[in-house]
Amino acid sequence: MKRIALVVLLLATVAGCESPRRFAPPVRKERPTVNLPLALRQSNWWGEDGQGSCTWATMVSLLRWQGRYKTADWVRQNCGDGEWPDDMAQRMDQANIRYAYVSNGDVKFLEWACHTRRGCGITIMGGGHMVALVHLDAHWAALLDDNAVENYIWLPRETLIAEWKASNGWAVAPVYTPAAPLP
Amino acid sequence: MNRLLLCVLCVLALFVSVAPCLADTVNGVLAEERVVNLPQDQDKWYISVVGDAADGRYKEVSGWFDSNPSLLKLKTQVQFCPVETNTPIYQERYAGNIKGLPTVRMQKPDGTVVYESAGKDIPLTAAGLNAAFASAVNEAQGLRPILPWRRDVDRRLNKCQPQPKLEPQPQRDSDPEPQPINDGDTPDVEPDAVVWAAWLLAPICGAALLAGLCLGYGKKLTAKWTPSHW
Repeated sequence: MKRIALVVLLLATVAGCESPRRFAPPVRKERPTVNLPLALRQSNWWGEDGQGSCTWATMVSLLRWQGRYKTADWVRQNCGDGEWPDDMAQRMDQANIRYAYVSNGDVKFLEWACHTRRGCGITIMGGGHMVALVHLDAHWAALLDDNAVENYIWLPRETLIAEWKASNGWAVAPVYTPAAPLP
Repeated sequence: MNRLLLCVLCVLALFVSVAPCLADTVNGVLAEERVVNLPQDQDKWYISVVGDAADGRYKEVSGWFDSNPSLLKLKTQVQFCPVETNTPIYQERYAGNIKGLPTVRMQKPDGTVVYESAGKDIPLTAAGLNAAFASAVNEAQGLRPILPWRRDVDRRLNKCQPQPKLEPQPQRDSDPEPQPINDGDTPDVEPDAVVWAAWLLAPICGAALLAGLCLGYGKKLTAKWTPSHW
């Protein structure tokens, strides 16, 4: 009888040893949401017509974030100079790039882009420059400027929205799979 | 002349009444130019398959998501991220937090890891991996796993569940085929049905009962024939 009790006790202590971790540790939210590794950030370049290529540089960075490395390389090699919304949409269509854009200052688009962790290119400086919007929450926004890719620029949400709306309100985002969040 | 004026006034009145109905204002800006339905997939979970592109095991595990119907279905319900070790994404976002190669990791949208296995701990078959995902999803949601013989019943009861919305096929480029655009939420994963013959259950039970009776009777006979005063 004692032996049986001992065996039962041993079994009870051993049972469940191989059980997987039941509760994952709490997760800290990543800031900015689109936390582009430095190596993926594309700096601006001069196009064939001598113009800056900020719109395309922004697209290259965001395409890399969404795992489209070859498409990004193709854009880097074949596109350049400044763009207008319609012209850029036409080029993206020709290149079979899946994208979405607005040119009417619809803030919901920016919220969608950051909420889904894709990010988007937005116009600033009166429409003369495009940067990547990499974070937008209730209070703050973060930008990645292709003219200085080392650091993010943080600014109040309302300041960013006012600047964007005063700059034609154009925003464009590739629509693929964003990189997974940090564990 | 009066009729002409009346017509003009009618047309103007029509414009005045219809315009506000068409113009959807968002933050003070007219939004009637919106041309696309954006995927509301912020609640989709993530599955990352991480490995060396030249590693056969990585290729095999990645391939399961195209060849196994259950994993293929799961792939369309999540943000699927194949990550190769020669990419900056791997260096900066995976190298420091994985236990080995290849790695399969399932995460909630906030980054919480609900399942992770690496190297030899990855299930040997696609069905095994799918079952591991199903178990992890159920556990993360605090659900009991559905027993195999209950699945059809549950399916019949849940017939009215909405089917995932499928958008037009994505365009091709030189990168891998992109995932279809669809909205998303917690993945619905079911382990592959174990193929077993339910009709075998009755004969097995009968045989066990018979064996039990025989054993009992045998013991009685043994006790009867064995002298108790030995």
